[in-house]
Amino acid sequence: MSKASTISLTEEGVSVTTEELFEQDIKPVSIQISNVTVSFKTPKGVYTAVKEIDLTVRKGEIVALIGHSGCGKSTLMSTISGMVKPTSGEVFANGKKVTSPGPDRGIVFQNYSLLPWLTVYKNIYVAVDAALKDKTSAEKTELVETNLKMVNLWEHKDKLPGQLSGGMKQRVAIARAFSINPKILLLDEPFGALDALTKSSMHIELLKLWVMDNRQKTIIMVTHDIEEAIFLSDRVVVMNNGPAATIKEIVDIPLSRPRNKKDIVHDPAYIKIHDKLLNLLIDKFSIADI
Amino acid sequence: MKNLFSIKTAVSVMYFVAGMVIMGGIWALIAKLTKNEIPTPLATWAVFKEVIQQPFQNDADQKGIMTKLLSSLARVGIGFGLGSLFAIPIGLIMGSSKIAMRIINPMVQILKPVSPLAWFPLGLAIFQDSPKASIFMIFICCIWPTLINAAFGASHIPQDHKNVSKAFGFSTWSYLSKILLPFSLPHIITGLRLSIGIAWMVIVAGEMLSGGIGLGNFVWEEGFNGGSVAKILVAIIIIGIVGSLLDMCFTWLQKKFSYAA
Repeated sequence: MSKASTISLTEEGVSVTTEELFEQDIKPVSIQISNVTVSFKTPKGVYTAVKEIDLTVRKGEIVALIGHSGCGKSTLMSTISGMVKPTSGEVFANGKKVTSPGPDRGIVFQNYSLLPWLTVYKNIYVAVDAALKDKTSAEKTELVETNLKMVNLWEHKDKLPGQLSGGMKQRVAIARAFSINPKILLLDEPFGALDALTKSSMHIELLKLWVMDNRQKTIIMVTHDIEEAIFLSDRVVVMNNGPAATIKEIVDIPLSRPRNKKDIVHDPAYIKIHDKLLNLLIDKFSIADI
Repeated sequence: MKNLFSIKTAVSVMYFVAGMVIMGGIWALIAKLTKNEIPTPLATWAVFKEVIQQPFQNDADQKGIMTKLLSSLARVGIGFGLGSLFAIPIGLIMGSSKIAMRIINPMVQILKPVSPLAWFPLGLAIFQDSPKASIFMIFICCIWPTLINAAFGASHIPQDHKNVSKAFGFSTWSYLSKILLPFSLPHIITGLRLSIGIAWMVIVAGEMLSGGIGLGNFVWEEGFNGGSVAKILVAIIIIGIVGSLLDMCFTWLQKKFSYAA
Protein backbone atom coordinates (compact mmCIF):
# COMPACT_ATOMS: atom_id res chain seq x y z
CA MET A 1 0.00 0.00 0.00
CA SER A 2 2.61 2.55 -1.01
CA LYS A 3 0.12 4.70 -2.80
CA ALA A 4 2.00 7.81 -1.78
CA SER A 5 5.07 7.05 -3.85
CA THR A 6 3.17 6.40 -7.03
CA ILE A 7 1.58 9.82 -7.23
CA SER A 8 3.55 12.69 -8.64
CA LEU A 9 2.84 16.30 -9.27
CA THR A 10 3.35 17.63 -12.80
CA GLU A 11 2.78 20.98 -14.41
CA GLU A 12 -0.61 19.89 -15.67
CA GLY A 13 -1.69 19.02 -12.19
CA VAL A 14 -1.68 15.58 -10.72
CA SER A 15 -0.85 12.45 -12.59
CA VAL A 16 -1.19 8.91 -11.45
CA THR A 17 1.09 6.15 -12.65
CA THR A 18 -0.35 3.27 -14.63
CA GLU A 19 0.56 1.02 -11.74
CA GLU A 20 -1.69 3.00 -9.48
CA LEU A 21 -4.54 2.89 -11.98
CA PHE A 22 -4.08 -0.84 -12.25
CA GLU A 23 -4.24 -1.21 -8.50
CA GLN A 24 -7.46 0.82 -8.46
CA ASP A 25 -8.94 -1.42 -11.10
CA ILE A 26 -8.34 -4.73 -9.40
CA LYS A 27 -9.99 -3.64 -6.16
CA PRO A 28 -13.37 -5.31 -5.92
CA VAL A 29 -16.51 -3.27 -6.29
CA SER A 30 -18.00 -2.43 -2.92
CA ILE A 31 -21.05 -0.42 -3.89
CA GLN A 32 -22.80 -0.32 -7.23
CA ILE A 33 -25.57 2.18 -7.77
CA SER A 34 -27.32 1.70 -11.12
CA ASN A 35 -29.83 4.09 -12.56
CA VAL A 36 -31.33 4.93 -9.18
CA THR A 37 -34.29 7.29 -8.93
CA VAL A 38 -35.98 8.08 -5.64
CA SER A 39 -39.39 9.76 -5.53
CA PHE A 40 -41.57 10.50 -2.55
CA LYS A 41 -45.30 10.95 -2.45
CA THR A 42 -46.11 14.25 -0.79
CA PRO A 43 -49.44 16.04 -0.30
CA LYS A 44 -48.37 18.33 -3.17
CA GLY A 45 -47.71 15.45 -5.53
CA VAL A 46 -44.73 13.28 -6.36
CA TYR A 47 -41.35 14.74 -5.41
CA THR A 48 -38.31 13.28 -7.10
CA ALA A 49 -35.25 13.66 -4.89
CA VAL A 50 -32.58 12.05 -7.03
CA LYS A 51 -32.81 10.93 -10.64
CA GLU A 52 -31.00 8.24 -12.63
CA ILE A 53 -27.86 8.08 -10.54
CA ASP A 54 -24.99 5.76 -11.47
CA LEU A 55 -22.03 5.38 -9.16
CA THR A 56 -19.49 2.68 -8.49
CA VAL A 57 -17.39 2.68 -5.33
CA ARG A 58 -14.51 0.25 -4.83
CA LYS A 59 -13.48 -1.46 -1.65
CA GLY A 60 -11.50 0.70 0.76
CA GLU A 61 -12.42 3.93 -1.01
CA ILE A 62 -13.54 7.01 0.85
CA VAL A 63 -16.12 8.90 -1.18
CA ALA A 64 -17.76 12.16 -0.18
CA LEU A 65 -21.18 13.20 -1.47
CA ILE A 66 -21.32 16.97 -1.53
CA GLY A 67 -24.01 19.41 -2.54
CA HIS A 68 -26.35 22.07 -1.31
CA SER A 69 -28.99 21.40 1.32
CA GLY A 70 -31.88 19.40 -0.06
CA CYS A 71 -29.95 18.13 -3.08
CA GLY A 72 -30.76 14.54 -2.22
CA LYS A 73 -27.31 13.46 -1.07
CA SER A 74 -28.66 12.01 2.15
CA THR A 75 -31.43 10.29 0.20
CA LEU A 76 -28.88 8.76 -2.16
CA MET A 77 -26.88 7.47 0.80
CA SER A 78 -30.02 6.08 2.40
CA THR A 79 -30.50 3.87 -0.66
CA ILE A 80 -27.13 2.30 0.16
CA SER A 81 -28.01 1.83 3.80
CA GLY A 82 -31.37 0.39 2.83
CA MET A 83 -33.34 2.93 4.85
CA VAL A 84 -34.86 4.25 1.61
CA LYS A 85 -35.93 2.02 -1.27
CA PRO A 86 -35.19 3.36 -4.75
CA THR A 87 -38.31 3.99 -6.82
CA SER A 88 -36.43 2.59 -9.79
CA GLY A 89 -32.94 1.25 -10.30
CA GLU A 90 -30.83 -0.96 -8.09
CA VAL A 91 -28.18 -0.68 -5.42
CA PHE A 92 -25.71 -3.47 -4.75
CA ALA A 93 -23.55 -3.50 -1.64
CA ASN A 94 -20.91 -6.16 -1.07
CA GLY A 95 -22.28 -8.05 -4.07
CA LYS A 96 -25.81 -8.27 -2.72
CA LYS A 97 -28.83 -6.26 -3.76
CA VAL A 98 -29.81 -3.83 -1.03
CA THR A 99 -33.36 -4.40 0.17
CA SER A 100 -33.09 -3.42 3.83
CA PRO A 101 -30.50 -2.21 6.34
CA GLY A 102 -28.00 -4.84 7.34
CA PRO A 103 -24.99 -5.37 9.60
CA ASP A 104 -22.59 -5.24 6.61
CA ARG A 105 -23.29 -1.50 6.45
CA GLY A 106 -22.72 0.65 9.53
CA ILE A 107 -24.42 4.00 9.75
CA VAL A 108 -23.39 7.12 11.64
CA PHE A 109 -26.33 9.48 11.77
CA GLN A 110 -26.32 13.24 11.48
CA ASN A 111 -27.52 13.85 15.03
CA TYR A 112 -25.69 10.95 16.66
CA SER A 113 -28.96 9.09 17.34
CA LEU A 114 -27.89 7.70 20.67
CA LEU A 115 -30.62 6.40 22.94
CA PRO A 116 -30.71 8.94 25.79
CA TRP A 117 -31.83 6.43 28.46
CA LEU A 118 -28.94 4.05 27.87
CA THR A 119 -25.36 4.54 29.02
CA VAL A 120 -22.58 4.90 26.46
CA TYR A 121 -21.69 1.26 26.98
CA LYS A 122 -25.28 0.05 26.68
CA ASN A 123 -25.88 2.14 23.57
CA ILE A 124 -23.14 0.24 21.79
CA TYR A 125 -23.99 -3.09 23.36
CA VAL A 126 -27.63 -3.10 22.22
CA ALA A 127 -26.52 -2.34 18.66
CA VAL A 128 -23.90 -5.11 18.69
CA ASP A 129 -26.39 -7.45 20.31
CA ALA A 130 -28.99 -6.77 17.62
CA ALA A 131 -26.65 -6.77 14.62
CA LEU A 132 -24.38 -9.70 15.47
CA LYS A 133 -26.77 -12.38 16.66
CA ASP A 134 -24.34 -15.26 16.18
CA LYS A 135 -21.69 -13.94 18.58
CA THR A 136 -21.53 -15.08 22.19
CA SER A 137 -22.13 -12.49 24.87
CA ALA A 138 -18.42 -12.62 25.81
CA GLU A 139 -17.49 -11.75 22.23
CA LYS A 140 -20.01 -8.94 22.17
CA THR A 141 -18.72 -7.54 25.44
CA GLU A 142 -15.20 -7.61 24.07
CA LEU A 143 -16.23 -5.84 20.86
CA VAL A 144 -17.88 -3.05 22.83
CA GLU A 145 -14.83 -2.67 25.05
CA THR A 146 -12.35 -2.64 22.16
CA ASN A 147 -14.30 -0.06 20.22
CA LEU A 148 -14.93 2.20 23.19
CA LYS A 149 -11.23 2.15 24.02
CA MET A 150 -10.45 2.89 20.38
CA VAL A 151 -12.33 6.18 20.57
CA ASN A 152 -10.95 6.88 24.06
CA LEU A 153 -14.29 6.78 25.78
CA TRP A 154 -13.81 3.75 28.01
CA GLU A 155 -13.69 5.84 31.16
CA HIS A 156 -16.99 7.47 30.16
CA LYS A 157 -18.77 4.19 29.52
CA ASP A 158 -21.26 4.58 32.36
CA LYS A 159 -22.37 8.08 31.42
CA LEU A 160 -25.64 8.88 29.73
CA PRO A 161 -25.47 10.64 26.34
CA GLY A 162 -26.90 13.79 27.93
CA GLN A 163 -23.74 14.09 30.00
CA LEU A 164 -21.43 14.09 26.97
CA SER A 165 -20.22 16.86 24.67
CA GLY A 166 -21.13 16.83 20.97
CA GLY A 167 -17.75 15.47 19.95
CA MET A 168 -17.94 12.69 22.51
CA LYS A 169 -21.44 11.75 21.36
CA GLN A 170 -20.19 11.57 17.80
CA ARG A 171 -17.32 9.31 18.89
CA VAL A 172 -19.83 7.01 20.58
CA ALA A 173 -21.85 6.92 17.35
CA ILE A 174 -18.70 6.12 15.36
CA ALA A 175 -17.64 3.44 17.86
CA ARG A 176 -21.13 1.95 17.57
CA ALA A 177 -20.89 1.81 13.78
CA PHE A 178 -17.37 0.32 13.91
CA SER A 179 -18.23 -2.24 16.57
CA ILE A 180 -20.43 -4.26 14.23
CA ASN A 181 -17.39 -4.31 11.92
CA PRO A 182 -19.24 -3.39 8.73
CA LYS A 183 -17.57 -3.59 5.34
CA ILE A 184 -19.19 -0.31 4.43
CA LEU A 185 -19.43 2.72 6.68
CA LEU A 186 -22.06 5.33 5.85
CA LEU A 187 -21.65 8.73 7.47
CA ASP A 188 -24.52 11.21 7.14
CA GLU A 189 -23.10 14.68 7.77
CA PRO A 190 -21.28 13.17 10.72
CA PHE A 191 -19.45 16.26 11.84
CA GLY A 192 -22.00 18.88 10.80
CA ALA A 193 -23.00 19.81 14.34
CA LEU A 194 -19.47 20.06 15.73
CA ASP A 195 -17.35 23.16 16.18
CA ALA A 196 -14.40 23.61 13.82
CA LEU A 197 -11.72 22.48 16.30
CA THR A 198 -13.55 19.33 17.38
CA LYS A 199 -14.33 18.63 13.74
CA SER A 200 -10.63 18.67 12.80
CA SER A 201 -9.66 16.21 15.47
CA MET A 202 -12.60 13.98 14.55
CA HIS A 203 -11.33 13.85 10.95
CA ILE A 204 -7.98 12.59 12.17
CA GLU A 205 -9.67 10.08 14.48
CA LEU A 206 -11.83 8.73 11.69
CA LEU A 207 -8.82 8.27 9.40
CA LYS A 208 -6.91 6.63 12.24
CA LEU A 209 -9.69 4.08 12.70
CA TRP A 210 -9.81 3.49 8.97
CA VAL A 211 -6.03 2.96 8.76
CA MET A 212 -6.06 0.70 11.86
CA ASP A 213 -8.49 -1.49 9.97
CA ASN A 214 -5.96 -1.66 7.05
CA ARG A 215 -8.06 0.61 4.88
CA GLN A 216 -10.46 -2.24 4.24
CA LYS A 217 -13.65 -0.33 4.97
CA THR A 218 -15.41 1.56 2.24
CA ILE A 219 -16.60 4.89 3.58
CA ILE A 220 -19.34 7.03 2.04
CA MET A 221 -19.79 10.39 3.65
CA VAL A 222 -22.42 13.04 3.09
CA THR A 223 -21.14 16.54 3.77
CA HIS A 224 -21.43 20.13 2.67
CA ASP A 225 -17.96 21.01 3.86
CA ILE A 226 -15.46 21.25 0.97
CA GLU A 227 -12.34 21.11 3.16
CA GLU A 228 -13.65 18.07 4.99
CA ALA A 229 -14.48 16.32 1.72
CA ILE A 230 -11.00 16.93 0.27
CA PHE A 231 -9.12 16.02 3.42
CA LEU A 232 -10.89 12.72 3.94
CA SER A 233 -11.83 11.32 0.57
CA ASP A 234 -10.42 9.71 -2.54
CA ARG A 235 -13.23 11.03 -4.67
CA VAL A 236 -15.80 13.76 -4.21
CA VAL A 237 -19.18 13.35 -5.85
CA VAL A 238 -20.68 16.78 -6.51
CA MET A 239 -24.46 16.76 -6.78
CA ASN A 240 -26.68 19.18 -8.68
CA ASN A 241 -29.38 21.04 -6.83
CA GLY A 242 -32.62 19.17 -6.37
CA PRO A 243 -35.35 18.34 -7.10
CA ALA A 244 -34.47 15.42 -9.36
CA ALA A 245 -30.81 15.88 -8.51
CA THR A 246 -28.14 14.19 -10.57
CA ILE A 247 -24.38 13.88 -10.26
CA LYS A 248 -22.78 17.06 -11.56
CA GLU A 249 -19.22 15.83 -11.52
CA ILE A 250 -16.96 13.36 -9.76
CA VAL A 251 -13.68 14.93 -8.68
CA ASP A 252 -10.67 12.74 -7.90
CA ILE A 253 -8.56 13.69 -4.91
CA PRO A 254 -5.15 12.21 -5.71
CA LEU A 255 -3.47 13.62 -2.60
CA SER A 256 -1.10 11.20 -0.93
CA ARG A 257 -1.98 9.58 2.40
CA PRO A 258 -1.38 9.98 5.24
CA ARG A 259 -2.53 13.53 4.80
CA ASN A 260 -1.46 16.29 7.14
CA LYS A 261 -4.16 18.73 8.11
CA LYS A 262 -1.73 21.64 8.43
CA ASP A 263 0.46 20.99 5.38
CA ILE A 264 -2.24 19.93 2.97
CA VAL A 265 -3.76 23.40 2.66
CA HIS A 266 -0.50 24.69 1.13
CA ASP A 267 -0.32 21.87 -1.39
CA PRO A 268 -0.91 23.33 -4.88
CA ALA A 269 -2.91 20.24 -5.83
CA TYR A 270 -5.16 20.81 -2.81
CA ILE A 271 -5.68 24.44 -3.71
CA LYS A 272 -6.54 23.51 -7.26
CA ILE A 273 -9.11 20.90 -6.18
CA HIS A 274 -10.51 23.29 -3.61
CA ASP A 275 -11.05 25.97 -6.27
CA LYS A 276 -12.60 23.49 -8.60
CA LEU A 277 -15.08 22.29 -6.00
CA LEU A 278 -15.86 25.84 -4.98
CA ASN A 279 -16.63 26.70 -8.61
CA LEU A 280 -18.83 23.66 -8.96
CA LEU A 281 -20.81 24.45 -5.84
CA ILE A 282 -20.98 28.21 -5.77
CA ASP A 283 -21.69 30.59 -8.61
CA LYS A 284 -21.69 33.85 -6.74
CA PHE A 285 -18.46 34.79 -5.02
CA SER A 286 -18.98 38.43 -4.13
CA ILE A 287 -21.68 41.04 -4.10
CA ALA A 288 -20.48 42.10 -7.56
CA ASP A 289 -21.78 38.78 -8.93
CA ILE A 290 -25.35 39.37 -7.84
CA MET B 1 -30.83 15.32 49.90
CA LYS B 2 -27.50 16.38 51.37
CA ASN B 3 -28.70 20.00 51.25
CA LEU B 4 -31.74 19.27 53.37
CA PHE B 5 -30.79 21.94 55.89
CA SER B 6 -29.49 24.53 53.47
CA ILE B 7 -30.69 28.12 53.34
CA LYS B 8 -32.66 27.29 50.21
CA THR B 9 -34.68 24.67 52.08
CA ALA B 10 -35.24 27.08 54.97
CA VAL B 11 -36.58 29.69 52.54
CA SER B 12 -38.94 27.14 50.94
CA VAL B 13 -40.22 26.17 54.37
CA MET B 14 -40.80 29.83 55.19
CA TYR B 15 -42.84 30.35 52.02
CA PHE B 16 -44.81 27.20 52.80
CA VAL B 17 -45.53 28.41 56.35
CA ALA B 18 -46.53 31.83 54.99
CA GLY B 19 -49.02 30.15 52.63
CA MET B 20 -50.47 28.11 55.47
CA VAL B 21 -50.79 31.16 57.70
CA ILE B 22 -52.69 33.05 54.97
CA MET B 23 -54.98 30.09 54.42
CA GLY B 24 -55.56 29.81 58.19
CA GLY B 25 -56.29 33.53 58.32
CA ILE B 26 -58.91 33.35 55.59
CA TRP B 27 -60.41 30.32 57.29
CA ALA B 28 -60.58 32.12 60.66
CA LEU B 29 -62.20 35.10 58.94
CA ILE B 30 -64.85 32.90 57.34
CA ALA B 31 -65.48 31.27 60.73
CA LYS B 32 -65.98 34.71 62.24
CA LEU B 33 -68.26 35.85 59.41
CA THR B 34 -70.43 32.73 59.67
CA LYS B 35 -70.56 33.11 63.46
CA ASN B 36 -68.76 29.77 63.92
CA GLU B 37 -71.19 27.91 61.67
CA ILE B 38 -67.91 26.97 60.01
CA PRO B 39 -65.65 26.10 62.97
CA THR B 40 -62.43 28.01 63.52
CA PRO B 41 -59.07 26.37 62.78
CA LEU B 42 -58.49 25.91 66.47
CA ALA B 43 -61.87 24.22 67.06
CA THR B 44 -61.19 21.99 64.06
CA TRP B 45 -57.76 21.15 65.46
CA ALA B 46 -59.41 19.95 68.67
CA VAL B 47 -61.76 17.70 66.66
CA PHE B 48 -58.79 16.54 64.56
CA LYS B 49 -56.95 15.38 67.69
CA GLU B 50 -60.06 13.56 68.78
CA VAL B 51 -60.49 11.92 65.37
CA ILE B 52 -56.91 10.67 65.18
CA GLN B 53 -57.14 8.90 68.48
CA GLN B 54 -56.93 5.13 68.07
CA PRO B 55 -56.39 5.57 64.32
CA PHE B 56 -56.14 1.85 63.61
CA GLN B 57 -59.18 0.84 65.58
CA ASN B 58 -61.05 -1.78 63.57
CA ASP B 59 -64.07 -2.89 65.59
CA ALA B 60 -67.37 -3.81 63.99
CA ASP B 61 -69.07 -0.57 65.01
CA GLN B 62 -66.09 1.74 65.41
CA LYS B 63 -63.34 2.29 62.83
CA GLY B 64 -60.27 4.49 63.30
CA ILE B 65 -59.50 7.22 60.77
CA MET B 66 -56.40 5.40 59.47
CA THR B 67 -58.44 2.25 58.93
CA LYS B 68 -60.82 4.31 56.80
CA LEU B 69 -58.00 6.05 54.96
CA LEU B 70 -56.24 2.76 54.21
CA SER B 71 -59.50 1.25 53.06
CA SER B 72 -60.00 4.14 50.59
CA LEU B 73 -56.37 3.91 49.48
CA ALA B 74 -56.70 0.18 48.91
CA ARG B 75 -59.70 0.67 46.63
CA VAL B 76 -57.92 3.40 44.73
CA GLY B 77 -54.81 1.21 44.55
CA ILE B 78 -56.65 -1.80 43.14
CA GLY B 79 -58.74 0.24 40.67
CA PHE B 80 -55.77 2.34 39.61
CA GLY B 81 -53.51 -0.71 39.28
CA LEU B 82 -55.98 -2.66 37.16
CA GLY B 83 -56.84 0.41 35.08
CA SER B 84 -53.16 1.11 34.41
CA LEU B 85 -52.41 -2.50 33.52
CA PHE B 86 -55.20 -2.27 30.99
CA ALA B 87 -54.50 1.25 29.71
CA ILE B 88 -50.70 1.13 29.22
CA PRO B 89 -50.53 -1.71 26.68
CA ILE B 90 -53.64 -0.53 24.82
CA GLY B 91 -52.27 3.02 24.73
CA LEU B 92 -48.91 1.83 23.41
CA ILE B 93 -50.61 -0.22 20.72
CA MET B 94 -52.74 2.78 19.76
CA GLY B 95 -49.66 4.98 19.54
CA SER B 96 -47.71 2.44 17.50
CA SER B 97 -50.34 1.58 14.93
CA LYS B 98 -52.35 4.06 12.93
CA ILE B 99 -55.02 1.43 12.33
CA ALA B 100 -55.37 0.66 16.05
CA MET B 101 -55.54 4.41 16.70
CA ARG B 102 -58.36 4.83 14.22
CA ILE B 103 -60.32 1.91 15.65
CA ILE B 104 -59.83 2.58 19.36
CA ASN B 105 -59.79 6.38 19.41
CA PRO B 106 -63.52 6.89 18.68
CA MET B 107 -64.40 4.59 21.60
CA VAL B 108 -62.07 6.50 23.87
CA GLN B 109 -63.47 9.84 22.79
CA ILE B 110 -67.04 8.71 23.53
CA LEU B 111 -66.36 7.00 26.86
CA LYS B 112 -63.81 9.48 28.25
CA PRO B 113 -66.19 12.41 28.93
CA VAL B 114 -68.58 10.23 30.94
CA SER B 115 -68.54 11.19 34.61
CA PRO B 116 -66.95 8.42 36.66
CA LEU B 117 -70.00 8.47 38.91
CA ALA B 118 -72.17 7.37 36.00
CA TRP B 119 -70.21 4.13 35.92
CA PHE B 120 -71.02 3.39 39.55
CA PRO B 121 -74.57 2.05 39.10
CA LEU B 122 -73.34 -0.02 36.16
CA GLY B 123 -70.67 -1.52 38.40
CA LEU B 124 -73.28 -2.16 41.04
CA ALA B 125 -75.47 -3.95 38.48
CA ILE B 126 -72.53 -6.07 37.34
CA PHE B 127 -70.98 -6.94 40.70
CA GLN B 128 -73.96 -6.64 43.08
CA ASP B 129 -71.47 -5.33 45.62
CA SER B 130 -70.83 -1.69 46.39
CA PRO B 131 -67.08 -1.84 47.28
CA LYS B 132 -66.47 -3.72 44.02
CA ALA B 133 -68.55 -1.15 42.19
CA SER B 134 -66.32 1.60 43.65
CA ILE B 135 -63.22 -0.23 42.42
CA PHE B 136 -64.86 -0.63 39.00
CA MET B 137 -65.53 3.10 38.88
CA ILE B 138 -61.91 3.87 39.79
CA PHE B 139 -60.72 1.36 37.19
CA ILE B 140 -62.70 3.09 34.44
CA CYS B 141 -61.65 6.62 35.35
CA CYS B 142 -57.97 5.62 35.60
CA ILE B 143 -57.93 4.29 32.04
CA TRP B 144 -58.32 7.46 30.00
CA PRO B 145 -55.45 9.76 31.01
CA THR B 146 -52.95 6.88 31.06
CA LEU B 147 -54.17 5.49 27.75
CA ILE B 148 -54.10 8.85 26.00
CA ASN B 149 -50.65 9.75 27.31
CA ALA B 150 -49.17 6.32 26.54
CA ALA B 151 -50.55 6.61 23.01
CA PHE B 152 -49.10 10.10 22.67
CA GLY B 153 -45.68 8.87 23.82
CA ALA B 154 -45.63 5.87 21.53
CA SER B 155 -46.73 7.91 18.52
CA HIS B 156 -44.03 10.54 19.06
CA ILE B 157 -40.94 8.35 19.03
CA PRO B 158 -38.35 10.40 17.11
CA GLN B 159 -37.34 9.12 13.70
CA ASP B 160 -33.72 9.08 14.96
CA HIS B 161 -34.53 6.38 17.48
CA LYS B 162 -36.48 4.37 14.92
CA ASN B 163 -33.54 4.67 12.52
CA VAL B 164 -31.19 3.17 15.11
CA SER B 165 -33.53 0.22 15.43
CA LYS B 166 -33.72 -0.19 11.65
CA ALA B 167 -30.02 0.30 11.00
CA PHE B 168 -28.85 -2.24 13.55
CA GLY B 169 -31.71 -4.66 12.98
CA PHE B 170 -33.31 -4.59 16.45
CA SER B 171 -35.68 -7.46 17.16
CA THR B 172 -39.28 -6.59 18.02
CA TRP B 173 -38.53 -7.25 21.68
CA SER B 174 -35.42 -5.02 21.62
CA TYR B 175 -37.42 -2.28 19.95
CA LEU B 176 -40.12 -2.52 22.60
CA SER B 177 -37.80 -2.69 25.59
CA LYS B 178 -34.99 -0.40 24.42
CA ILE B 179 -36.88 2.25 22.46
CA LEU B 180 -40.68 2.21 22.70
CA LEU B 181 -41.03 1.71 26.45
CA PRO B 182 -38.20 3.97 27.65
CA PHE B 183 -39.34 6.76 25.34
CA SER B 184 -42.99 6.43 26.33
CA LEU B 185 -42.30 6.02 30.04
CA PRO B 186 -42.28 9.73 30.99
CA HIS B 187 -45.56 10.16 29.11
CA ILE B 188 -47.03 7.10 30.81
CA ILE B 189 -46.04 8.50 34.19
CA THR B 190 -47.75 11.79 33.33
CA GLY B 191 -50.87 9.77 32.54
CA LEU B 192 -50.58 7.82 35.79
CA ARG B 193 -50.21 11.06 37.71
CA LEU B 194 -53.39 12.47 36.19
CA SER B 195 -55.19 9.16 36.76
CA ILE B 196 -54.31 8.88 40.42
CA GLY B 197 -55.45 12.47 40.94
CA ILE B 198 -58.83 11.76 39.40
CA ALA B 199 -59.12 8.43 41.24
CA TRP B 200 -58.50 10.13 44.56
CA MET B 201 -61.19 12.70 43.83
CA VAL B 202 -63.66 10.09 42.63
CA ILE B 203 -63.22 7.66 45.53
CA VAL B 204 -64.67 10.15 48.00
CA ALA B 205 -67.78 10.55 45.86
CA GLY B 206 -67.96 6.82 45.30
CA GLU B 207 -67.81 6.04 48.99
CA MET B 208 -70.51 8.60 49.70
CA LEU B 209 -72.75 6.67 47.30
CA SER B 210 -71.66 3.22 48.32
CA GLY B 211 -71.28 3.46 52.07
CA GLY B 212 -68.78 0.99 53.45
CA ILE B 213 -65.57 1.93 55.19
CA GLY B 214 -63.69 4.90 53.79
CA LEU B 215 -63.09 8.62 53.84
CA GLY B 216 -66.10 9.41 51.66
CA ASN B 217 -68.28 7.55 54.08
CA PHE B 218 -66.63 9.40 56.97
CA VAL B 219 -67.44 12.77 55.40
CA TRP B 220 -71.05 11.82 54.79
CA GLU B 221 -72.00 9.73 57.82
CA GLU B 222 -69.94 11.21 60.63
CA GLY B 223 -69.57 14.68 59.19
CA PHE B 224 -72.81 15.66 57.51
CA ASN B 225 -75.29 13.21 59.06
CA GLY B 226 -73.48 13.42 62.39
CA GLY B 227 -73.87 17.20 62.30
CA SER B 228 -70.17 17.93 62.73
CA VAL B 229 -68.85 20.47 60.21
CA ALA B 230 -65.47 20.18 61.94
CA LYS B 231 -65.28 16.52 60.97
CA ILE B 232 -66.03 17.43 57.36
CA LEU B 233 -63.16 19.92 57.51
CA VAL B 234 -60.86 17.34 59.09
CA ALA B 235 -61.72 14.92 56.31
CA ILE B 236 -61.11 17.59 53.65
CA ILE B 237 -57.68 18.29 55.10
CA ILE B 238 -56.75 14.61 55.26
CA ILE B 239 -58.00 14.01 51.70
CA GLY B 240 -56.05 17.05 50.49
CA ILE B 241 -52.80 16.05 52.18
CA VAL B 242 -52.97 12.43 51.01
CA GLY B 243 -53.86 13.56 47.48
CA SER B 244 -50.91 15.91 47.28
CA LEU B 245 -48.59 13.21 48.66
CA LEU B 246 -49.75 10.86 45.92
CA ASP B 247 -49.14 13.58 43.37
CA MET B 248 -45.66 14.20 44.77
CA CYS B 249 -44.79 10.52 44.38
CA PHE B 250 -45.59 10.67 40.69
CA THR B 251 -43.82 14.00 40.23
CA TRP B 252 -40.75 12.36 41.71
CA LEU B 253 -41.12 9.42 39.32
CA GLN B 254 -41.51 11.85 36.42
CA LYS B 255 -38.23 13.53 37.30
CA LYS B 256 -36.50 10.20 37.72
CA PHE B 257 -37.48 9.01 34.26
CA SER B 258 -36.96 12.07 32.15
CA TYR B 259 -33.82 12.14 30.02
CA ALA B 260 -31.81 14.87 28.43
CA ALA B 261 -31.15 13.97 24.82
